[in-house]
Amino acid sequence: MSRGTSYRLANGGAIDRSRPLSFSFDGHDYTGFAGDTLASALLANGVRLVARSFKYHRPRGILSAGSEEPNALVELRAGARREPNTRATTAELYDGLDALSQNRWPSLAFDILAVNSLASPIFVAGFYYKTFMWPAAFWEKLYEPMIRRAAGLGRAADAPDPDTYEKVTAFCDVLVVGGGPAGLTAARAAARSGARVVLADESFALGGRLLAERRTIDQMSGVEWCSSMTNELAAYDNVRLLPRTTVFGAYDSGTYGAVERVSDHVAVPPDGTPRQRLWRIVAKRTIVTAGATERPIVFGNNDRPGVMLAGAVRTYINRFGVAPGRRTVVFANNDDGCATIADLAAAGIDVAALVDTRSATPRHIADLAARLGVRAINGVITDVEGRHGVKRARIRTTDGASLVVDCDLVAVSGGWNPNIQMTTHLNGKPRWNDAISAFTPGDLPKGMSVAGAAAGEFSLTACLAQGTRAGAAAAAATGFDAEPIDVPTTGDEHVAISAFWHVEGSRHKALVDFQNDVTAADVALAEREGFRSVEHLKRYTTLGMATDQGRTANVNALAILAKLTGKSIPETGMTTARPPFTPVALGAFAGHHRGHDFKPSRLPPSYDWTREQGGILVETGLWMRPAYFPRAGERDWLDTVKREVETVRRKVGICDVSTLGKIDVQGPDSIALIERLYMNGMTTLKVGRARYGVMLREDGMVMDDGTVARLGEHHYFITTTTANAAKVYQHMQLARQWLWPELDVELASATEQWAQYAVAGPRSRDLLSSIVDPVFDIRDATFPYLAAAELTCCGGVKARLYRLSFSGELAYEIAVPARYGDALWRRLVDDAHALGGCAYGSEALGVMRIEKGHVSGPELNGTTTPSDIGLGSMASKKKDYIGRVLGGRLGLTDAERPTLVGFKPLDRAKRLRAGAHFIARNAEATAANDEGYMTSAAFSPSLGHWIGLGLLRRGPQRLGEVVRAFDPLRNEDNLVEVVSPVFIDPEGARLRA
Amino acid sequence: MPEAMLIETTPFARNKPIAVPGLVVAYRDGVTVASIAAYREKAVALSDLIEATYGVALPAPGRRVSSNAITLQWSGPGQWLAIAERGQRGGAVRDLEAELKPIVAGLAAVVDQSDARGIVAISGTRALNVLAKGVPIDLHERAFATGDVANTHASHIAITIARLDDTPTFELTMYRSYATSFTDWLRSATAEFVHTQPR
Repeated sequence: MSRGTSYRLANGGAIDRSRPLSFSFDGHDYTGFAGDTLASALLANGVRLVARSFKYHRPRGILSAGSEEPNALVELRAGARREPNTRATTAELYDGLDALSQNRWPSLAFDILAVNSLASPIFVAGFYYKTFMWPAAFWEKLYEPMIRRAAGLGRAADAPDPDTYEKVTAFCDVLVVGGGPAGLTAARAAARSGARVVLADESFALGGRLLAERRTIDQMSGVEWCSSMTNELAAYDNVRLLPRTTVFGAYDSGTYGAVERVSDHVAVPPDGTPRQRLWRIVAKRTIVTAGATERPIVFGNNDRPGVMLAGAVRTYINRFGVAPGRRTVVFANNDDGCATIADLAAAGIDVAALVDTRSATPRHIADLAARLGVRAINGVITDVEGRHGVKRARIRTTDGASLVVDCDLVAVSGGWNPNIQMTTHLNGKPRWNDAISAFTPGDLPKGMSVAGAAAGEFSLTACLAQGTRAGAAAAAATGFDAEPIDVPTTGDEHVAISAFWHVEGSRHKALVDFQNDVTAADVALAEREGFRSVEHLKRYTTLGMATDQGRTANVNALAILAKLTGKSIPETGMTTARPPFTPVALGAFAGHHRGHDFKPSRLPPSYDWTREQGGILVETGLWMRPAYFPRAGERDWLDTVKREVETVRRKVGICDVSTLGKIDVQGPDSIALIERLYMNGMTTLKVGRARYGVMLREDGMVMDDGTVARLGEHHYFITTTTANAAKVYQHMQLARQWLWPELDVELASATEQWAQYAVAGPRSRDLLSSIVDPVFDIRDATFPYLAAAELTCCGGVKARLYRLSFSGELAYEIAVPARYGDALWRRLVDDAHALGGCAYGSEALGVMRIEKGHVSGPELNGTTTPSDIGLGSMASKKKDYIGRVLGGRLGLTDAERPTLVGFKPLDRAKRLRAGAHFIARNAEATAANDEGYMTSAAFSPSLGHWIGLGLLRRGPQRLGEVVRAFDPLRNEDNLVEVVSPVFIDPEGARLRA
Repeated sequence: MPEAMLIETTPFARNKPIAVPGLVVAYRDGVTVASIAAYREKAVALSDLIEATYGVALPAPGRRVSSNAITLQWSGPGQWLAIAERGQRGGAVRDLEAELKPIVAGLAAVVDQSDARGIVAISGTRALNVLAKGVPIDLHERAFATGDVANTHASHIAITIARLDDTPTFELTMYRSYATSFTDWLRSATAEFVHTQPR
């Protein structure tokens, strides 16, 4: 197999000989042509050994010419684009293509781990379970890493994928899966009716097997007919042709997944073009014309380079103009041997013998063999020999004679399996068909039909007729009139088969599943050990579980198991396929949604200013909230947050609270709904006032807190926490639409309408007096704590002002329509600076609410009742509300429940951590002694040390007690003093100032 | 009182224009928008009153209608979005919430949404190809005719989409804070078309 020897045929093939392409494999440079696959180009250059197998490191060549390939898996491309386990048989050749063989060391021809083959007794089926059981500790540290190194395939890229991927949805009346003769005729019949048609095919050229066979249709060559069909289809506005696209899964309601390899056939995708595109195709009708996959026959060393499926041999000769060998033995159990010897002979390739498993060779084959001078033998190949490639075949004739025939190519055909995967993805059970010795589609999902070879009709005449009929029927079923179309005509052919699966008696390994290295002996071992159900066989041996889904293996394995158990194949069972039909890159599923674009971001009104200032943002749900605004000279976030808190407490600060949920409630029954949603009474709330409110879940736990402002007789405006905005709105809609549809009340989300800023600190009124238009009086007497008003600011801008405080300071929230949000923020920042104030972010806000003992997300964590967080006395006893009944359950009213209190470290220099568990001072640190946990902790600039909020068993009765705050995760154990949760201004003098 | 000492910022202000052959992306700024939700058993009276005022009745579910004065777009059961240019009538600034509230008092809740939405019109021979990369519903004229409206999503962003004409032109309405993420997606969805002319 010397390099440079050209196996390219002088003529023929659908390749463009005027466009040579250079490529490299394992560092050697070769040349191929446009239209080649990597496999055909390697064969043309005489490269037959291309891979090492998964477990035994057996030398492997090229078995097939399609996506079923189990052997010729390579690492394609280099660096960040390196892509392991790429099938050389589907990789389209491009100039500069760079591929490496995988799973070998130091080289493909000399692979040290091929000794695994000698150790094969321990690598047999179930070896994972048997060999490395003891001692258990060795499994993770020794055995598994060892096996992983020895067995495996390619290496994934180490760097982030530089290419882009995208996802597209397509709707159609008729989806045609597969562009062979049946698919092309089906698509044409449907297209002519005006129906919207999508035709997808794996290959870069439409035509399927027609590109690989020497056939004539309507006086045209198969290839000419395909291109005329393709041209006709491409001209229809209502047809979308998707070459290089694999339909990989059938899903509910006529939805199909497909992956289009948009740029896999070029070195680097053109600017703006994705590497791959994931299609979600929603089809009213689907026609599966996915063709069929040829089966190997199981015999000794049947995985050696040079053993190739007969159909693939014809593909390489006819489609790619390549001789896959010099001297061939054809081995078949069916009439395909006939076309194979004819094509080999026509290409000038020596045919040493035609070995037919049938006891009598059909007349037409015998005649052809005689005419071509091919020796026809009734018998089997027992083994092939040759270390890195076939050198000779050992044949046992039906009469018991043995002979050895020199050859470098064995073309094998065990019959064809219809590609029925799409019909089984939604649980369809295939049916066994004795006439073709294969499974055919059983009950089909709604809207699906099958035509051509996929339906078990292997003759071209039948494919053309069935495709045409299926296309017209699908179009008619979706409401389009399909005119009758003449079925294209072609010559007759023979497709008889006599089932034959396994040549027994070889002393060499006879492979069933090539990709997972499962042999006929493994199947027998599994059967002996009791794994006789096909599902057990699969899991015990890993048969059919490789990336090729066992497309060349499953039926052979079933047949071998059936023989061992003395049952028929349908009695033995079947394995059904799951998506994806072929591997799909995760990048294609992610599409646009990776990295920063993993999910959309919501930007608050102060976002641009924050970015300009170098402010730090924090993700809160989808919102990007300003967290803090570092200034030059500040050492860390704590410095910044301290400065922001101190500024608010001493002067004034402004904070973007636009992300809080805002819900407008209007209608005569507004208050009735509000009363049922909040646990505290709201009826007494006057127009122009706001009130804090707590909503419970049905089960009595706190769901959310916020404020209710009354803007009119029947007009309320509710705020929620940022995190729960959508949940609360949904909850309110459920109450309105479903629980009490009789209430006349309407809700509207207004979160995004208003840019809303907290203005907090002793100077906050001074700041706002320059913002709010002077006709509005905001002095304490006229606009006291919890006042709410609609007014104008900055010279007539519609605004709302609320006197609310989360920080504990004199504070307001001012809202303007979002279009003015950026400008008002900048104005507030400037005016605040003039007063010695600053902007503060969610971190400082969090510190101040802990200092003030206000609960937030860490306390409203879905496991706390109102009493747990010190709000029990707010609950109304005069009305019913969601959560009242279940909140009265015994466990929820237990006086022993951990309840909110504050904590100070006994050693004031110590840092407190949320998550630490409370344990009595002298008790052992065990779960049984657990008395609650710290929910929030912060460094308090006002107090000059760390403080915490937490839930402690009977907490409010234990003020002054010292307990342990034990944090085994961070290995901390501090003594803390139990104190009131309100650390500053417990009388509330500041916020009423 | 003089209008606004504050400068307006439009929802898509931070996003560079998208220029792609076969596609026109037009941000619809300067509109006034209000949500209208009919009170119990008031939908018919409400529709009659709207029709008497603006010459168009409230559209059926999944539909949108326009007159010179107003566009009314269905947005949910018993709910519509009213849309108009802010500076339409004789140069005076229109505020649909303020305009509609007295008209429909007692019949419907009206809430200003002028600033809550980002609205973008996507038009041209490539509009369908681009939208198919994010919008999971069938926008073909046979399935989604001119005047049709749907609540769906674009690239995980909730939108309301309407077909305005058979150019085709689609108008997408989303929450304002998503405008930048939407544009990021739209830019990636149009990237492959930047350098090529439509067929």
